[in-house]
Amino acid sequence: MKWTPGDLETFEEAREYIDTAVVPLIPVSFQKGRNQSASMYVFIDMLTASIENQFKGRVMLMPPLSYLAGEEIGKKMELVHAWRKEIESFRNIFFITSDSEWKAYEQEFGGTLIWIPSIPLEHLEEGQARTMIVDQARQVFDLFTRKWNEA
Amino acid sequence: MSKHNVSRRQFLSYTLTGVGGFMAAGMLMPMVRFAVDPVLKAGAGSDYIATKQKVSEITAEPKRVDFTFEQVDAWYKSEVTGSAWVYKDDNGKIVALSPVCKHLGCTVDWNTDKSNPNQFFCPCHYGRYTKDGMNVEGTPPIAPLDMYDFKEKDGFLHLGPIKPHKGA
Repeated sequence: MKWTPGDLETFEEAREYIDTAVVPLIPVSFQKGRNQSASMYVFIDMLTASIENQFKGRVMLMPPLSYLAGEEIGKKMELVHAWRKEIESFRNIFFITSDSEWKAYEQEFGGTLIWIPSIPLEHLEEGQARTMIVDQARQVFDLFTRKWNEA
Repeated sequence: MSKHNVSRRQFLSYTLTGVGGFMAAGMLMPMVRFAVDPVLKAGAGSDYIATKQKVSEITAEPKRVDFTFEQVDAWYKSEVTGSAWVYKDDNGKIVALSPVCKHLGCTVDWNTDKSNPNQFFCPCHYGRYTKDGMNVEGTPPIAPLDMYDFKEKDGFLHLGPIKPHKGA
């Protein structure tokens, strides 16, 4: 499901089936690292769209949680915890990001952080970029199905 | 000279009728053209989309065929990927099934559930469909998978609009 009024209506009707939320974590910087920030955004945006397409009926793709890259990590962590609290009715919550800063704080996420290094898609043709994304997405699909099969 | 002379009055009325006719036609023609325009427009949505799948290479084993087409989403034009499960049935007839689960819209896979081989399997809520696309009873989906219209062109498979399953 996407974050649209139409999909949310379906969500209300089929709530018991949609037990997984996906929150993209997007760092934003307008100083140095601006291009990298944009590159990560495009990559994560396409990747999460692909996940949503594959698992439309069980996954709710939330709007991306964007934060300033230069912000202090403690503050960012607070933000993540606040989001998690807000959507705690989902049995599974996945945070997806390319921002390596989160990697050091993996334990805080309790196994729900998916960190994927971003691929600079801007140098690729659209067809090639899609193939790359699909390859990356396949690995994430496995993470999801494994998690579901655990329960 | 001819016996029938055109009077000044007749000449003027002929000319006026002629010119007036042209003017009326000049106004009406665009209106008529606008009115029938939707009929003349080529049906954009009903076009068949070419895939890279050779018809001669389709086997009895369902194969995922991906294709891309352009979609305009508000101001943003983008290439969208779609896919179909394509195989030949027992009579050698081609079947092209939509991979979209009829339960809540996940993408179904072929033969990925080990305990139920040779079925389409939805990873989200374990919905299952037999090879011909019929939903297995007792699993969440309530309808069989949709089918694509298709045709062969220059040896390649072209996929058309999505239709409900014939067996439904």
